[in-house]
Amino acid sequence: MVFVFGINFPEKKMVKSALQSFYGIGPNVCTTLMARFSIHPTARLAQINAATIDSLNNELSKMTIDNDLRRQLHDRIRRLRDMGSYRGRRHAMGLPVRGQRTRTQTTTAKKLNKIERRG
Amino acid sequence: MPPSRGILAVATRSSTGLPKSQWDVLPFRPAQPASFSTTACLAASGPPRKGKKAIRNLKAARQSAGRPPAPGERKALRKRVVLSNTNALEVSGLEDLDAKAIGKESSRCQMFGLPGPVVDSLRAVEAFKPTQGWRMFRSASVLWREQSIRLAQIMTDLAKLKSPETRRMVLAGEKGTGKSVMLLQAMAIAFMKKWIVINIPDAKDLTNAHTEYAPVPGTSPQQYIQRSYVANFLAQIAKANAGVLSQLQLSMQHDLSIPVQSNISLDRFADLGAKDLDLAWPIFLSLWAELTGPGRPPILFTLDNLNFIMRHSEYLGRDLKPVHAHDLSLVRHFVDHLSGARTLPNGGLVMAATTGSNKPSSPILDLAIRQSEARIQGLTGEAVPQWDPYRPGDERSLQSMADLEVFDIKGLSRDEARGILEYYAASGMLRQAVDQRLVAEKWTISGGGIIGELERGALRMRP
Repeated sequence: MVFVFGINFPEKKMVKSALQSFYGIGPNVCTTLMARFSIHPTARLAQINAATIDSLNNELSKMTIDNDLRRQLHDRIRRLRDMGSYRGRRHAMGLPVRGQRTRTQTTTAKKLNKIERRG
Repeated sequence: MPPSRGILAVATRSSTGLPKSQWDVLPFRPAQPASFSTTACLAASGPPRKGKKAIRNLKAARQSAGRPPAPGERKALRKRVVLSNTNALEVSGLEDLDAKAIGKESSRCQMFGLPGPVVDSLRAVEAFKPTQGWRMFRSASVLWREQSIRLAQIMTDLAKLKSPETRRMVLAGEKGTGKSVMLLQAMAIAFMKKWIVINIPDAKDLTNAHTEYAPVPGTSPQQYIQRSYVANFLAQIAKANAGVLSQLQLSMQHDLSIPVQSNISLDRFADLGAKDLDLAWPIFLSLWAELTGPGRPPILFTLDNLNFIMRHSEYLGRDLKPVHAHDLSLVRHFVDHLSGARTLPNGGLVMAATTGSNKPSSPILDLAIRQSEARIQGLTGEAVPQWDPYRPGDERSLQSMADLEVFDIKGLSRDEARGILEYYAASGMLRQAVDQRLVAEKWTISGGGIIGELERGALRMRP
């Protein structure tokens, strides 16, 4: 088992998929990170030496990802609500924020627009 | 109008678009009760009759089939090389290749079996490819064509020279012309002549970013080593050349991080590197220094699929820019020898074969081949193709290919085609009399004796 950013991954897990499992790391950020540490795209966690894992963890801890990024998002929405803005209210009501119609088709807005938005 | 007539009329008008006045001409037919339902219930033919088995639902059966393949199992199956087929007939009168016959003109158009130890060595250096048709015959045999004889003569002459010389060449030609098999023949000759054979079986494996890489500190431009590839490479070198390397001993002092026995044999020395990833590259460099030291045998250094190293690799550098293939240390080591920047002090041959299938674009390589062809034809000055200066190009690849001998491999001659067709027939794979007509037919269909197409036309696509 290998610890990456506080999560225990099985050794046969691909580095790419382990990194992309964190909120805020998509294909682009992942490619940049892997290039910086000279990890090839098909590498598995077992193939990386401990020193590289340490420096990767160090780098990840400096980035705003996962819970930090989620908290940042929640704070921003909460700020909008607290100042009583239209966008804040719409978020709180679970309705579209940017002028979309509400007669039909507001499923995505209902799903996502919350103060504790999931991501 | 009766209701039945009405239905007919509407149906006719909708299907043929006839005008209203012609409706009366149509013959009267009573209405057919049409089924308006196409549900599965009605479409089903009912339960199977007694004594008959129901048709198995293949899709459902496939989903529940057994265990999934183990890691690496499918790749092993894909890369499997079968060199013998007990169902094929044994070819009577097939001689094994021997060191004396290889350069003789009389052996032209003949098939020769590869001797057992040579086959083992060739297998160790991955000279046989799974796409080649070895599995259809009783034993691995090769056709001795005109270019094979020329190659054998070149190698024999190199060994005879008093002052050792390094010959460099690229095998080029269309898809299926036998470039990889020509490399294999060169390796077979080298093994029989007790040369040291070092083969990079597929350049793609080095550049497609499927093996680990690590930057070498303090190099400019940044160099990268591929530890696990090199470790496996050392194991291949040790296994394939065990006969020669076990007789040679370490003769120099090397600065390695582990203590090494001073008179260790070179195959065991290579194995040390194969077992330890961190030591693989330093041991490869030390082994190379040993092999090029005084009194060592000549070296055959080969690489297949040259196109993949005359371009950028799939690896990314720290600055997110693609790493040029020549910045990978092992590739650079080969390219230095191919371009003539480094030579083999004990003589030898550096050979590379281009690929015709799965060919990545490498305009520089194409240009270098055309330039070489022009030189062979005796063209000079502006008649020799030049790189368009307004087109961004890969300067490093161009320089490395500047002065190369290109061995252009074309189709077989009719005599050579007859030789191989007779072998197919004697193996029981071609069930036709091999006469002039058949030879002419197969030779023509195969695009003028392209051997890969000849095999496909005669063996794989037979009626």
